[in-house]
Parts: sequence; structure tokens; C-alpha cells
Amino acid sequence: MNTAITVPEDLWEGDGEGVITAWLVDDGSEVAQGDLVAEVMVEKAQYEIEAPASGVLTIAKQEDEVIAKGTSIASLEA
Amino acid sequence: MTLQRPTVEEGLIAEEALLDMVCHGEISLGWLAWSPRDRGLVMPRRHERLARFPEARAQLASMGWPVLFRNTGGTPVPQSPAVVNLALVIRCRVGSSAAHLEWGYHRLGDPWCDWLGVLGVADADLGPAPGAYCDGRYNVRIGGRKLVGTAQRWRRVRGCGDMALLVHGAMQVDDTPEALVAVVNAFQAAIDDPQRFRAASHVALRDVLPDLALEAAMPRLLEGLVAGHALPKAAHGCG
Repeated sequence: MNTAITVPEDLWEGDGEGVITAWLVDDGSEVAQGDLVAEVMVEKAQYEIEAPASGVLTIAKQEDEVIAKGTSIASLEA
Repeated sequence: MTLQRPTVEEGLIAEEALLDMVCHGEISLGWLAWSPRDRGLVMPRRHERLARFPEARAQLASMGWPVLFRNTGGTPVPQSPAVVNLALVIRCRVGSSAAHLEWGYHRLGDPWCDWLGVLGVADADLGPAPGAYCDGRYNVRIGGRKLVGTAQRWRRVRGCGDMALLVHGAMQVDDTPEALVAVVNAFQAAIDDPQRFRAASHVALRDVLPDLALEAAMPRLLEGLVAGHALPKAAHGCG
């Protein structure tokens, strides 16, 4: 089963964009549900992104890439 | 509620420790007021990836402004004895339709503006200050000039759906805006970034309230932050 890791839709108001500031695990790593996997920054706020499920991580958006709300930044293959 | 005088590094570590206490369920609300006894240029760690960062770091160190990293967002900000920092940590329950970054900034900034109003500053508000370093939409401004820069970090409380918020404000009290802007512009030049910042976009508290006894006035600001623990939006609940 494939699960997307997305930037929460409710994180900020308006149509501003954020940026991925860090991946905390490597592409291809196995992660558990709830593990911290990435940090995004928007509006001068750092926000930690958790794995919504367990699985092998495939990164879709790299560090310093610009992202919008709801963007899928990676996927987890269980 | 006293103003602590750690080093910049110690102050940043203390703020992180407060956030950890919320994440571990030890507290649901905490705060720290500090002004560093040394100085440094503080920035998010992602700046380390800049091509000319090693040279820039060495240059700033030679100027007496060592580079340090923080865990909140934004861009480089000078820390020195001229700056007073306030960090507020809160355990929050975030609703499904709430834009909680805005809530966090108002949670810190609104009491700050109220405090300035009590001190006689009539034109304090939250907003951007174009031309200021580390500008954002939620600076505490006086007359449109940046007095307090604000930033946040959000982390999940372990074992539940609640979130821990660290919202931080750095207020320039003393020194001239020109002096601090020059430090940030030196870093900009060292990394070959053409953007330069303007002192006219900043203001120091001492310029507006030259006779203020700050340490005597600080408790009222902190009391305002704690009193604000009542939440403005139904979507947010704090445990």
C-alpha cells in the first residue's frame, strides 16, 4: 500500500508557499508511523512532518524546494 | 519573572528545553525572557548549505559575531545585549480547519502590542516591514518599523495528537538599527547575496521610550502573555 506524505492543508492562511528545509531521514529508508521525517518552513515557522504510516520512504520534493499547502512531498510503500 | 542573561547559545538551548518539556507532557505553558550577555548572528541551520557559508561564517566570527543556529524559521538575526527575547511555549489542540501559524503569532504579538500601548506607544501593530532583515507578516511594529521579529517551531506532543508551539520574539531595545543591520548586511555580502536591508525599516525601543525602566516593565508583558492563555479560536484547545 502506498501512502502519500502531504503538507497539511490547514497549516497557514492564504496562498503563500513554504519550503522544505530538511529531510530527517534518507530516501529509501524504512520509517515507522509517527517518525519525524521532514521539516518545512512557512511564514518563519518550522513545522515537523511525521510519517502518517510505516513503510519505505520515497522522497518527491528535495530540500529547498518550494511547496504549497497539500503538496505531496514523499510517499511510503508498506 | 526576571530577565535572564545567558549566552546566546545557552538562551537557544533553554528555549529548546522548554519546548521539550511541553512535548514530554511536563508543562502545558511556559515562557522565558532573556537578553544575551554575548553576541552572535543566529539563523536556521539550512543556511549552512549556502555555497559561501564557510567563508561567511569565518568572516562574521572575525568581526566578533559568531554564527549560531536556531530551530525556528526565518533568516539571520543579530543577538546581543541590545536585544531582549521572549519565548512562549504552549500545548495546543489544533482543529481541522484552523490556520494555526497565524494564531501562534497573534498569541505572542497581540499582548506585546497591548503592552506597548500601556507604555504610551499609540501606533504599535503586527505586520510586515519591507526592507527589514528577517521580515515576516507578523513583526511587532511601531509606526510601520520593525521592533520585534517573531518566529515559531511546531512539534507533535509525544503519544497524542496535540501540538507543542514555541513562538519567539526578539526585540531590539538598545543600540542603533544601523549597527545591527550592518551585521546582517555583512553576512549578505559574504555569501554573495545582493539583497541588502535598511536601518530605516527597524526601530529600537530606546528610540521610542528613552526613559523606560525595562526590567520593571517586563513583568507586565509576561503577565499579558500568560493571561492570554484563554484561546481566541474554538478550533484551538490547550491542555
